[in-house]
Amino acid sequence: MKTESNVAYILRLALTLLVITAVVAVALAGVNSITEPKIDQLNAEKTQQAIEAVLPGGFDTEITDYTDDTGLVSKVYSGANGYAFEVTPGGFDNTITMMVGVDSDGKVLGISIVSHTETAGLGAVAAASTTAGEAFRSQFVGMSGSVSVSKDGGEVDALTGATITSRAVCTGVNAALACAANLG
Amino acid sequence: MNFKKQFNEGLLTKNPVTVQLLGMCSTLAITTSLFNGIGMGLAVTAILICSNILISALRNFIPSQIRIAAYITIIAGFVTVVDLLLKAFIPALSESLGVFIPLIVVNCIILGRAEGFASKNTVLASAVDGICQGIGYTIALVIMCVVRELLGSGTFGGGLLNNGEGIRIIPAQFPAMQMVMPVGGFLTLGFVIAGSQWLMKRLEMKNKKKEAAK
Repeated sequence: MKTESNVAYILRLALTLLVITAVVAVALAGVNSITEPKIDQLNAEKTQQAIEAVLPGGFDTEITDYTDDTGLVSKVYSGANGYAFEVTPGGFDNTITMMVGVDSDGKVLGISIVSHTETAGLGAVAAASTTAGEAFRSQFVGMSGSVSVSKDGGEVDALTGATITSRAVCTGVNAALACAANLG
Repeated sequence: MNFKKQFNEGLLTKNPVTVQLLGMCSTLAITTSLFNGIGMGLAVTAILICSNILISALRNFIPSQIRIAAYITIIAGFVTVVDLLLKAFIPALSESLGVFIPLIVVNCIILGRAEGFASKNTVLASAVDGICQGIGYTIALVIMCVVRELLGSGTFGGGLLNNGEGIRIIPAQFPAMQMVMPVGGFLTLGFVIAGSQWLMKRLEMKNKKKEAAK
């Protein structure tokens, strides 16, 4: 076996690791430069679709001077038929990003979930484009004031096995309704 | 080198899920619909093949003291590439698997095969090992998905067939929700492991009988 001084050996270890991490970093930068525009575009499309799904006729402007007491409203869009609020309530293990449409009378026009990390098959149903998902989301339409799940004395039927997710969606809707009331 | 032996090992006698019990976290968590199982299986297989090939190619270059750090860096690189590609081109799968794609980095199957096989064998054998182990993992996941989806949601092929809803086999009011929750994962895994053990014993007995007949 070749003898190596301690310093040279330690340097060799460090340099080997440096070379590997540098090559990986360059490769990742390359892949990222290809996928980033595509991912940004998909996200923008998703937001656009989410707004259109909850606010018939789409939006004209984004409002920045709104009063939000809950701290959950991240964006407000204004359109001919009302407002669309992007709210971020805390879900089962992370925040849910959802869009809530509210008309000028303070009634919910519709909700759609932009992104979430809820449990597959349970909480994730809230965002799914399945019959159960549609049914869950459509029950919010026309509600006003304050909403809550039936377990908490409200009118919303919670998703089976996903009360926390259902509550989170209610919290998001309430934040949007409160913000809409402030906007007048 | 013995491809048939490697194939048998990956599929049954050294199946990463049912025998080596590696990568349990993803196995238990995402096996709730067929789409998830196939997607996760293919993602892990692709990463396993790539990391096995690269680690095998570099096996004489990486000093043994820093091998784990080097392997994890390489694996994390491949996982991030797959994560970015899925986000850009198959967003539905990326959403469905969520955090479990980035978590492939710490999936013991990949590090286990890197340490246990790729670091001691040729590039070709390591590539074959990646394919065989990947297929074994995918098959185990698909079996678990089919069972849990059928008993838990009452459907087959969720996320893939029938506009993403799956084909309904059991009417909606009957399925046991527990089967798609963690407890169902553990139950199903136990039965799948028992089934594979039974199959192995049977094959062994058959082989013994054959030899005795000679």
